Amino acid sequence: MKHSVNRPPTPDEDVTESPERDELTLGEIINIKLVESGEKENLMELVRDRLVESGWKDEMRIACREHVKKKGRKDVTVDELIRAITPKGRASVPDAVKEELLDRIQNFIRSAAL
Amino acid sequence: MSNAEDNKSSHDQLSSQVFLDLVDSVIADVASECHRVARLGLDRDLEVVEEELRLSVEARAKVADPSNNLETNTKYVVDIFGQSHPPVATEVFNCMNCGRQIVAGRFAPHLERCMGKGRKARAKATRSTTASQNRNSRRNTSDNNQLASGPPGFEENVRRT
Repeated sequence: MKHSVNRPPTPDEDVTESPERDELTLGEIINIKLVESGEKENLMELVRDRLVESGWKDEMRIACREHVKKKGRKDVTVDELIRAITPKGRASVPDAVKEELLDRIQNFIRSAAL
Repeated sequence: MSNAEDNKSSHDQLSSQVFLDLVDSVIADVASECHRVARLGLDRDLEVVEEELRLSVEARAKVADPSNNLETNTKYVVDIFGQSHPPVATEVFNCMNCGRQIVAGRFAPHLERCMGKGRKARAKATRSTTASQNRNSRRNTSDNNQLASGPPGFEENVRRT
């Protein structure tokens, strides 16, 4: 008999899919659902709009400029900038914006019946 | 009951996570944009501040540096064409009197000796007759000049110079 005949059996489709499913965390599942339904994109747009309106983005841009001034504009990296402004950025989101977003997200989670 | 509470808290946690995720994305966008502006030099204000900073640092260094720069500047003045002139003229030419090659910067002293107009000139070569002639003539002139009260050492000083 030729060796090619003795190939290992093709893996079963069903067998591979469920172990992957089990390994996904709840957070990842929600993320997938958000993306698939298009809600993630809606939320992104909402967040952006709200943060621009409230002047948060301008504040962040100023913080970036300060950092660039200190470090010199030729050496700055994106990672560095992100690291520099993230703590301030997270903390300075207006409460109203945060609440609006959280509300919407929670509605989504509930409606996703999880 | 507790189940619902558990659900709620985990829901809260989940939604917080999603929210933070969104905010981080926007932060990354802002950082990326600012990074681009900074690297491309699109921020005019930043450039101006940088330039001024650089110039002031340079000026400070120049003032603080005690050595070379200042000295060379006074010795080698640069004119508007960017040419620098050494303090002593270095061009060499032929003396029209004796025909020797003379450095331009040393021409005057050379002429003194060469044409016998200066004090040192012939006095060295012929001490006997001309020296005494010079002494006499110098005595007369010095009296007329009222430069010196005629101390005994005066002639010696004159002869030496």
